[in-house]
This record gives sequence, C-alpha cells and structure tokens, in this order.
Amino acid sequence: MKVQETKTERGIRAVLPFLSTLALILLMQPQYKIAYFNNMVPFLSLAAVYYWCIFKPRLMPVSVVFLLGLIQDILSGGPLGMMALLLILVRVFVLSQGRRLLEREFLFNWLVFFVLALVFGFVTWAVASLYLREAQNYWTILGQSMLTIVIFPAVVWILGRVRRLLVAEIR
Amino acid sequence: MKELRYRFSTGFFITLSLALLVFGSNNNSVVNRIRADVSGIFVPLLDVISRPLEAADDFIEWTQNLAIVFSENKQLREENNRLRQAQIKASQLAIDNQRLKRLLNVGEGQVETIAAARVVSDSGSPFFKSVLINRGTEDGLKNRQAVINEDGIVGRTINVGASSARVLLATDINSRIPVKLASSGINMILEGDNSAFPRLGFLPIGEKVAVGDLILTSGYGMVFPPDLPVGQVVKIDGDDIRIKLSAKLHNLNYVSIVGYNIIRRPAAADPKEPRSEEPGG
Repeated sequence: MKVQETKTERGIRAVLPFLSTLALILLMQPQYKIAYFNNMVPFLSLAAVYYWCIFKPRLMPVSVVFLLGLIQDILSGGPLGMMALLLILVRVFVLSQGRRLLEREFLFNWLVFFVLALVFGFVTWAVASLYLREAQNYWTILGQSMLTIVIFPAVVWILGRVRRLLVAEIR
Repeated sequence: MKELRYRFSTGFFITLSLALLVFGSNNNSVVNRIRADVSGIFVPLLDVISRPLEAADDFIEWTQNLAIVFSENKQLREENNRLRQAQIKASQLAIDNQRLKRLLNVGEGQVETIAAARVVSDSGSPFFKSVLINRGTEDGLKNRQAVINEDGIVGRTINVGASSARVLLATDINSRIPVKLASSGINMILEGDNSAFPRLGFLPIGEKVAVGDLILTSGYGMVFPPDLPVGQVVKIDGDDIRIKLSAKLHNLNYVSIVGYNIIRRPAAADPKEPRSEEPGG
C-alpha cells in the first residue's frame, strides 16, 4: 500500500515540469492592458523548455514538448504546429549539447539563452512571414526576444524552486 | 538502440508539426473544431487568471479619475446643458426620418446584441491579432459576427466553440472591414496589416481624405451594422492612409457581439409586393 502511494506521488512529481511549463504558457495569455506590450509578451515557454531540457530532459520528452507547443498554438491563435515545431528544435539543440550546459554556472546559461532567444525570435518571424506570405515587421519580434532574455532569470528562479521539490523527494 | 529511438521520436514529431503547419490551415473544419474545444477547456482558467489584471486596470483608472474629478465636473455640467438642447432637436429629426423612410420603404437594418462577453486572452504575438472571449454557440454566437465595445468596432468572430470564441481583431493582417468616410460617405475598405494603425484602402480616384476625418462602418458585407465608429485618420503618406481605431484593442475588458439583418416591412398598399401569402395567388 505504502509503495503504491509513493508511486503515485512520484507520478505527480514527474509531471511537475509539464505543469510548470503549462502554467507559464497560461501566464502568456491574458491581456496585460499595456500598449505595445501585447505585441511582445515574452516567450516564457521557450525559457521553461530550455530549463527543463537542461536539468530534467527525461521529464520533458519530445512528445510533451510537442503537446505544450500545440496548446500554446491553440490558445494564442497562431498557426497550428508553429510553436510545437520551434520548441522541439530547442529541445534538439539543448540535448545535442549533452552535459555542457548542465555543468556551467548560471551566467553561461544565460548567455547561451541570449543567442537562443534571438535565433528563436528570428525563426518565429521567418515562419510567420512564410505562413502569412508577407514579410512581417521584425522590430516587434526583436523586442519580444529581448524581453524574454530580460525575464529569463526570474523564470529560472521560479523553476528552480519547482525543481527543488523534485530533487528533494526523488533521488 | 536508445539513440535510434530518440532520433525516431524527434523526427516523427517534427514531421507531425510540419504537416500540421502546412495542412492544418484555418479553413480545415476538423482543426477548427479541435481548436475551439481545446480553447473551451482553458477558457474558465484564463478567465480566472485575467481577473486580477482587470482589477488592477480598474484601480489605475479609478485613481486617474479621482484626480480630475473637479475640473471634469464643471465641464460635464456645461456639456449636459448643450446636449439637452441637442436631444430635443434629435428626437424631432428621428420622427421625421422614420416617417420619410416609411414612405420610401427603405429596407432597414435590424441590429441585435446577441451577447456580452469578457475578453480572457490575447494572442500576445506581433503576427497574429486575435482575442479569446468567454461566450460561444451556447449563447447564440456564430462565425462572422461583429464584435464591438463602447468605443467602436473591435473585430469579428472567426472560430466559435460551445462556450468560447476567437475574435479576429481589426488590426490583424487577415481583417478587411467595409467602412466609409463620415463626412462624405465615400466607401472604402479598412485593411489590417498587424500594425497598431490599420490602412484605409480603395479610396476612389479624385477623392480626398484629411487627417482627423472620422471613419464609420458602411454596413456592406452584412457583418458590421452601418454607422458604428471605427476611428480617425491619423497619417497620410501618399496612398498610405492610416487609421487610429476608437476602441483600444490592447485594453479590452468587455465586448458585445452584434448580429445584423436587413428587414423590409411589407407595405400594405404596394401592389408590387409578392403575393405568395394570398389565397390562390
């Protein structure tokens, strides 16, 4: 009986990366009532997927990343599959680095994220422009990438607390 | 083996995303239904999340109003006097207008407010401008209905689920709204291009538009009722005419969904009326 309980507990903890990323995706949705900010809500999901793929890649498998991207696409009204594709590519990038990102200090990860967010913004712009068959304004997406970079430490701090829940219980 | 499985699953999901991107366009009814259903699941949650933001916004507005309450009061008293005079004149004109329309048997548009809804989410993207509202087919909404607020037009419904609907904003690149110049009645099209200031297109050759001109809906296209406020011309650069919308699309709390139908009153004395209802006719 006791064993089963811990199993369910473990199951619940295993979905924490998914739930925390989903929560951040939901936080991206409301209207923040600030002019221009509505055009460039930070890519919180990018920060979360990046974080979990570095620290707990097994709890953030490609199917989960796909599902999260799809939910974001549906809620934000963008083309179906766009965020799913881009977030999977982020996962592929992080995993290709092996343990290189895991063993470095925060500042190094932030620097990698800086470049990643800019590339992510550019690819988003390219996919959207292709999808809409018209070159879009790139200044707003640059702003969106910048805001994402600025808010990254806060996201890492929050997800770090979530991860502590994981680490403390499952060894 | 593990490496192979990783490669296979990643490749599979990348292909799936690409396929969705290419084939799952907005015209696909299955995709639309899934979108609407999934949105419907999250709308109650988004509704809760967006409440504190609305409260904060209300509080800011309240403090701002508090600061100007005295100067505004005096101004409002004067305006009230003026409006009372205007109201008398307007009611006389309305009676006149109604009588003349009856004489001409003008088909009159019937505008009905179908529902009021809360805006619970915003696309948050520079490339796709839409919001999610917490009303759907259960409240009588359909696709292609006009969405307005107290300031003017907001957009139209594009994907309606049971209890939620997506509203394409007037600034979206796919939005086209028939409008007219308030002063002269010249018909034009308001074309969104994902910028904050949509473009006015199809100005007839020889006609002039000036900065500050008021733009209203024309009622063509049967989505928006005529004479709703749209916005004001703010910039003219050759052919590029830009409009500032009356409604603040970055700050939407409540919106109304309105239906628009033309009804023709059967004129009893008119012999040209169809006689289908007459016995033996």
